Amino acid sequence: MNISTFWLREWINPKVSDDVLAEQLTMAGLEVDGIESVAPVFDNVVVGHVVSCEKHPDADKLNLCQVDVGESDNLQIICGASNVRTDLKVIVATVGAKLPGGLKIKKAKLRGVESFGMICSESELGMSDSSDGISELDSDAPIGQDIRKYLDLDDNIIELDITPNRGDCFSVLGVAREVSANYNMAFKLPNINVSAQGSSSIKTSVSNTQTCPKYLTRTVKGIDNTVKTPKWMAEKLTRSGQQVHSPVVDITNYVLLELGQPMHAFDLEKINGAIEVRNAKAGETIELLNESSVELNDDTLIIADDNSPLAIAGVMGGMGSSTQDNSTQILLESAFFEPVSIAGKARNYGLHTESSLRFERGVDFNITETAMDRATQLIIDICGGEASDINSCVDTKALPELTPITITQAKIQKILGFELDANWIEEKFTNLDFEISNKSADSWTIIPPSFRFDIRIPADLIEELARLYGYDKLPVQKLSLDANINATSEATIDKYDIAQSLVSRGYQEVITYSFVSEKYQNLIDPEAKKITLSNPISADMSTMRSSLWAGLLQTVESNQRRGHTDARFFEIGLCFGGVKADEQSNKLAGVVSGNRFDAQWSTDLQPLDFFDAKADLESLLALTGTQFSFEAAEHSALQKGQTAKIILDGTQVGYIGALSPVVQKELSLSKCYLFEIDLDVTLSGKIAKYEAFSSYQQSARDIALVLDEATPVADLMSSIKNMSQPHFVGVSLFDIYAGDNIESGKKSVALNLTYQSLEATLSDDEVNAKVDEVLALMQDKFSATQR
Amino acid sequence: MINTILDQAKASIAQSESLKELDDLRVKFLGKKGELTALLKGLGKLSKEERPKMGEAINQAKVNLQNLLTDRKNHLETLELEKRLLKEKIDVSLPGRNVEMGGLHPVTITLNRIQSLFAKNGFEVETGPEIEDDFHNFTALNIPEHHPARAMHDTFYFDESTVLRTHTSPVQIRTMENKKPPLRIIAPGRVYRCDSDITHTPMFHQVEGLIVDKDANFAQLKGLLIDFLRAYFEKEDLQVRFRPSYFPFTEPSAEADIECVICGGEGCRVCKKTGWLEVLGCGVVHPNVLNSVDIDAEEYTGLAFGMGVERLAMLRYGVNDLRLFFENDIRFLRQFR
Repeated sequence: MNISTFWLREWINPKVSDDVLAEQLTMAGLEVDGIESVAPVFDNVVVGHVVSCEKHPDADKLNLCQVDVGESDNLQIICGASNVRTDLKVIVATVGAKLPGGLKIKKAKLRGVESFGMICSESELGMSDSSDGISELDSDAPIGQDIRKYLDLDDNIIELDITPNRGDCFSVLGVAREVSANYNMAFKLPNINVSAQGSSSIKTSVSNTQTCPKYLTRTVKGIDNTVKTPKWMAEKLTRSGQQVHSPVVDITNYVLLELGQPMHAFDLEKINGAIEVRNAKAGETIELLNESSVELNDDTLIIADDNSPLAIAGVMGGMGSSTQDNSTQILLESAFFEPVSIAGKARNYGLHTESSLRFERGVDFNITETAMDRATQLIIDICGGEASDINSCVDTKALPELTPITITQAKIQKILGFELDANWIEEKFTNLDFEISNKSADSWTIIPPSFRFDIRIPADLIEELARLYGYDKLPVQKLSLDANINATSEATIDKYDIAQSLVSRGYQEVITYSFVSEKYQNLIDPEAKKITLSNPISADMSTMRSSLWAGLLQTVESNQRRGHTDARFFEIGLCFGGVKADEQSNKLAGVVSGNRFDAQWSTDLQPLDFFDAKADLESLLALTGTQFSFEAAEHSALQKGQTAKIILDGTQVGYIGALSPVVQKELSLSKCYLFEIDLDVTLSGKIAKYEAFSSYQQSARDIALVLDEATPVADLMSSIKNMSQPHFVGVSLFDIYAGDNIESGKKSVALNLTYQSLEATLSDDEVNAKVDEVLALMQDKFSATQR
Repeated sequence: MINTILDQAKASIAQSESLKELDDLRVKFLGKKGELTALLKGLGKLSKEERPKMGEAINQAKVNLQNLLTDRKNHLETLELEKRLLKEKIDVSLPGRNVEMGGLHPVTITLNRIQSLFAKNGFEVETGPEIEDDFHNFTALNIPEHHPARAMHDTFYFDESTVLRTHTSPVQIRTMENKKPPLRIIAPGRVYRCDSDITHTPMFHQVEGLIVDKDANFAQLKGLLIDFLRAYFEKEDLQVRFRPSYFPFTEPSAEADIECVICGGEGCRVCKKTGWLEVLGCGVVHPNVLNSVDIDAEEYTGLAFGMGVERLAMLRYGVNDLRLFFENDIRFLRQFR
């Protein structure tokens, strides 16, 4: 909310600068987003009266004016504006004036004629961005008065960011009350005095008093709505960000800003029969003041006459019953609508109004009459007319209950960590208009005022006391030391360590959006359940990812577009198999593309391949000390024949492979290799357990086997390991060969077997016997012959 | 005779250029058929009187010659080594043969730093789902249906009661549902708001903190957060101020500002000339929240705080555009290695 400090100071005027006042409001919980002066700095600019205006003898477009600025002699000023004319009140920058932008006014000669000043437009004074000609002042503007004083230009606008709990602060009254509580001084309400007579000619009834516990109306007849809204009111409205319309509308807006009570005025002559406040019937329509036509839901409270809806209660009036310049009779409305029932209704129709904003947050239900009288008084003052008595429909039982709340010194101590002085507490409650209904030495029962919808429990009172005391002055303590030692298993691997293992192998971590385009999602994981946002930012961010690959490939693509063709990226993040908590799990994925090393002096450029990606993945899996296996598989995003699933204890936990050429082409990428694994399986390692090692010599034997080309080497190795031969140490692969001297469709695999005993050096015969066992198994299981 | 041989040998040794040449000289003079050996063999022909004298002279000559050979050998070996070293000389300024190091994302770096600072105070890390239900994201946090705060959250919806979490606060609820106080946790993670412009990305990161204990109070919350902010920005006298604010799930609620770390509190564009930067929200957990997870609000007090990770990262590293964090431009990410 924007509030003019001049306006505020009419109500309460603490002897501090606007900056200090703004700072105080911020520290009291009304956050000031900004403070802006209504006009930039300038001086020696006064109200002038154009006494005469003639054409310049030597220039068609210039006027030669004699201007009275309240000095003994009139000033001769040359003015080029087309709207300058005799008898106009204008803004005059006199010789010596400094204008915004550094312009200094000097005596000048234009086409041979002297000019002693400048007649100004609003834009020349920095008060608006553009203006059409010079500024025309009211005819009663006092000649010679400093324009800053005449137009209240030393005013500042404070922009307040009001939190949802403080609906009471959406008015000058509300902010004045805050200032009053903070500075411990009273504020001054305007005098409100209305002479009304006779009852309203319009019958009103409320059929939903739960939503509308209080509905006041009054007629004002014989008004002249063609008069101009007075300058003082127009200026206040403008500075609060409101547009100026006709007097009646301006007055209702003014009361809304001043007292926080939204008001509405109907044109009496456009009301048919009686007024009823009721829920809309489904399908009823209304054309609103913003010229939009809406179909109403039956949960929406409306104001209706015998024929049709006239307004959406607390949101916006209808076009049909609105006041116009020629309206002479009006029906004024001042009501209380219950916040919870009114909440969200405006939004359902795509509306957000000053009125709905206040009703949703809570309007003081004891100010309804005051606001009615205030508006009536202003209408009579400005437009004339005669007011009827107020016609009230009030259901007292439906009004919010003001339940007493008790706060104890012990509770204050418990929450804030110290005790507040009892007298100070009482003074502050009084300043806040909290009624102390009962008290003892260390306990107070208060009844909150009708404008504070946010004061319901003791904690609310503690916050009030704390903020008036000043959060900054509240004590500071240390947390008590937690004596528990966290029971994290040594076998737990930190996500950070997993990440570091990839970082040290050249991978850059990225963080990509969890929602991707449907196109990417479909290319990468077409079988995954579609989890789609109902209100995405854009189609490119509409589908929750089931794999991290979409974001990684996008990252590769965007960096390649910028010329960074070598890529090693990884991401850790949630992927979504459904919307339930247990269908969301963390994955770790990586992508590599380009060359194995950067171009460097010692190594030729070598394109990355599957085994680079696999080595990187294996290095982080090695942290777990657990055996993962890789089996040939297929995946819609990966290249057939270069894809493996990653298996732990018989369960598939991830995939690795070359990006499918189809997807690669679709996404205009270079060759990429990808892997992805459930993060959880990487986070549990093993606790080391010592085993004795042998001091006897190790025996090694090489064997070369010829077998079917399609047989995975990993199968050979695991079969050998699974033999669990006594004294077996390990098997390693040292060569694979196919080609000359090997039958086509076959390959030669060279393995190195090692054996070692804890008790003695094994004899050749012993070792050879073991090797023979292995050869027999290979023959048996894989039809592998020794080469 | 001896002297002649000796002079000749000396000259030859001095002229020798290789170990091979030198060895040939050794053989020539000292070998079995060498010239000095021949003299020794000839001693028998000398008289009894001459024999010892001559023998001594020959032996002396042998020793001399041997010394000369050794000296020359050492000299030649040194030359040879130097020659080899010269040949093996490398440009040590050349870079090592290596894969370039990768790096962590600045948000991860910041998260790790925040976590490790709180870990020192006994805070454990908790996480939760990012697709949340209405209850955990709103209702349990004292944000009932139609509460104005719901509209202010710019929520992404899947259906009426399923959302992308708008804050990390639901992790508070999930933790309190599963664990009994006393509690001291932080919950880092991604959060989502349906908003995208220069200063908003639809996804960002928060760290939520929660303490539930019998003797927890607002003064401790202030103390903890002041300590944290001073540690995070590595400035012992960093000015921190607390202002009243509003969050449905805390009462009293506060926002904490730090002195602007860009201008030192003088007033600049980043702090909008105020000298202060808002960095986190906090407060005493609202009794309704504790009640919603069956914790006795009379016995226990909850303290909660939440901060935006990107904001802290931006201030710490001088990043001036939030969107850079999610563009994953290698030129940006590399700067945090």
